[in-house]
Amino acid sequence: MRDNIKGGALTETTFFVLLAVYKPNHGYGIMQFIEKETNGRVVLGAGTLYGAINALAKKKWIAPFDNEADNNKKEYIITDAGKQKAREELKRMGEVYKLASAIIRGERNQ
Amino acid sequence: MSKTVCRYFFDFLDGQEKWLNNMAEHGYRLKKCGRMTYIFDECRPSEYEYTVEFVGDKSYSKAQDYCRYLEGMGFRTFTKNINLNFSYGKVRWRPYAKGMGQIATSPGGFNKELLILEKKRDGAPFELHTDVRDKLDTCKTVRRAYGWAVLLMFGLIAMTFISGVSSMSVPMTWVIRAVILIFGVLFVIPMAKYSSLINQLKEESKIFE
Repeated sequence: MRDNIKGGALTETTFFVLLAVYKPNHGYGIMQFIEKETNGRVVLGAGTLYGAINALAKKKWIAPFDNEADNNKKEYIITDAGKQKAREELKRMGEVYKLASAIIRGERNQ
Repeated sequence: MSKTVCRYFFDFLDGQEKWLNNMAEHGYRLKKCGRMTYIFDECRPSEYEYTVEFVGDKSYSKAQDYCRYLEGMGFRTFTKNINLNFSYGKVRWRPYAKGMGQIATSPGGFNKELLILEKKRDGAPFELHTDVRDKLDTCKTVRRAYGWAVLLMFGLIAMTFISGVSSMSVPMTWVIRAVILIFGVLFVIPMAKYSSLINQLKEESKIFE
């Protein structure tokens, strides 16, 4: 996982993983969520997802959800710190969207 | 009916993966693998596909956790050796690894440097790493492993030039040097391939995630 520390931008992978664990979800579920919600545009590899999950858990933006039923399918849930980051990312993306829309649609002269 | 094949791959990732997929295309499904042996069961041609992942840089517990996670994702897993280490008793030093991954024990992570993963062929590419940064990190780890193998081979050649190290005849010493050199070159080829891939990915990472 890489995040732009200065600008606070999260990678697409990071942001989607955060969104996928607003409800408890496991690796395969996260992968399916992202593929479905992006209509197949983003298909995460299992290795990339594993790295992202571990990095987010290390930052305490997500945490293991208490479910010992199947250890192979460990579930995760977003934490308050993770929700805060997701809100900040949404705001940042909104600003980028506004600026890009104005320029690309010719509503604003550079 | 089972089929046993004896094989060792210097190109332990891509070469092995290509060969396993070729076997699957011809109707052979991996059942078990040993240090240099592969046992296959017959299956429908192209029913399964394989990818090979390097986990020799991870500590045994992390490699096990990763393996469990991949099994949870629905993949069938096999551990495989690359035999690239410096050993003392049952403890091995893996110079190419990071942190606790540098210490491999037997029993433990030693001879389990690779994970062979199997899934049913479903038309989707069998890619474990899809993010440019993640691909870059993975390629760097693999290149480091090949780099140490090359260094070891050239170190061995250098040792043969030290007087008094060997009592072998001069022609025999040159034969040994030539054999080690060939092994070194066999490791240089995949190392060069990964170096080129790393350069491409570095360029891509400036633009894409």
